[in-house]
Amino acid sequence: MASLEDELRSALRRREPSPDFTERVLARVSAAPARRAPQPWVRWLAAIAAALLLAAGGLEYRHYRGERAKDQVLVAVRIAGSKLNKAQKKVQMLTHRSTS
Amino acid sequence: MKAAGLAIALLLLAGAAPAQQVKWNFDKLAARASDTVDVSLSGSLLRLATKFLSDDDKDEAKVKKLVGGLKGIYVKSFEFKKPGEYSAADVESFRAPLHAPDWERVVGVHSSEDGETVEVYIKNEGKGIGGLAIIASEPKQLTLVNIVGAIDLDSLSELGGHLGIPEVDVDKKK
Repeated sequence: MASLEDELRSALRRREPSPDFTERVLARVSAAPARRAPQPWVRWLAAIAAALLLAAGGLEYRHYRGERAKDQVLVAVRIAGSKLNKAQKKVQMLTHRSTS
Repeated sequence: MKAAGLAIALLLLAGAAPAQQVKWNFDKLAARASDTVDVSLSGSLLRLATKFLSDDDKDEAKVKKLVGGLKGIYVKSFEFKKPGEYSAADVESFRAPLHAPDWERVVGVHSSEDGETVEVYIKNEGKGIGGLAIIASEPKQLTLVNIVGAIDLDSLSELGGHLGIPEVDVDKKK
């Protein structure tokens, strides 16, 4: 039992690092490749790509709205024209009857 | 004094305000209708639409010229499954805002054969026409057209025979 305790004590005993420990750690830290910020041109490229995407989306939406508005105009003119036409037809018929 | 000045300014602004869309309430009719056509085009949408109307297509070019100066087009057309689904009061509610001195009924025709009535109203504004309203009632259909702005009636009637509208020429049928 005492030997187990001795073994544990020996294993967990505080040990001083070697004298060059700090130097080795610092050397490794400086040797590790630093994580660099993206190049400015990458940022610009991303911004331009985002702007182009937004512009393309906006144009596509405007085109959709324009085509839809055009169809609505044609429907409206068709309905208005046909109703006006009917009124005109009736007036012409009455005028024709009264003159003949 | 300030209040009087404000009142005068408001009156002047009201006088200078552009032609407005006439407001109707269609909720009850829409609930009874089996089909509804609803076109609502404000000035900005009309301007956008004209950019998409072709100059090369003869019909589209005419429509483009016709609607180019308009401030709005609003069409409501209700179709019903059977006759009698709308009342005379419904038609009267269409007429209600179209009163003198702003509006004038220029045409009112009724056919007892097919039970069809078409009324055409124009809005007098200064020197010319400031708007147009058409109320067309058939046994199973009720239509209201409101065009805001100076509409050329000749151009609109010229579209007879185009866009699927049958051309009217009584004399040719003799």
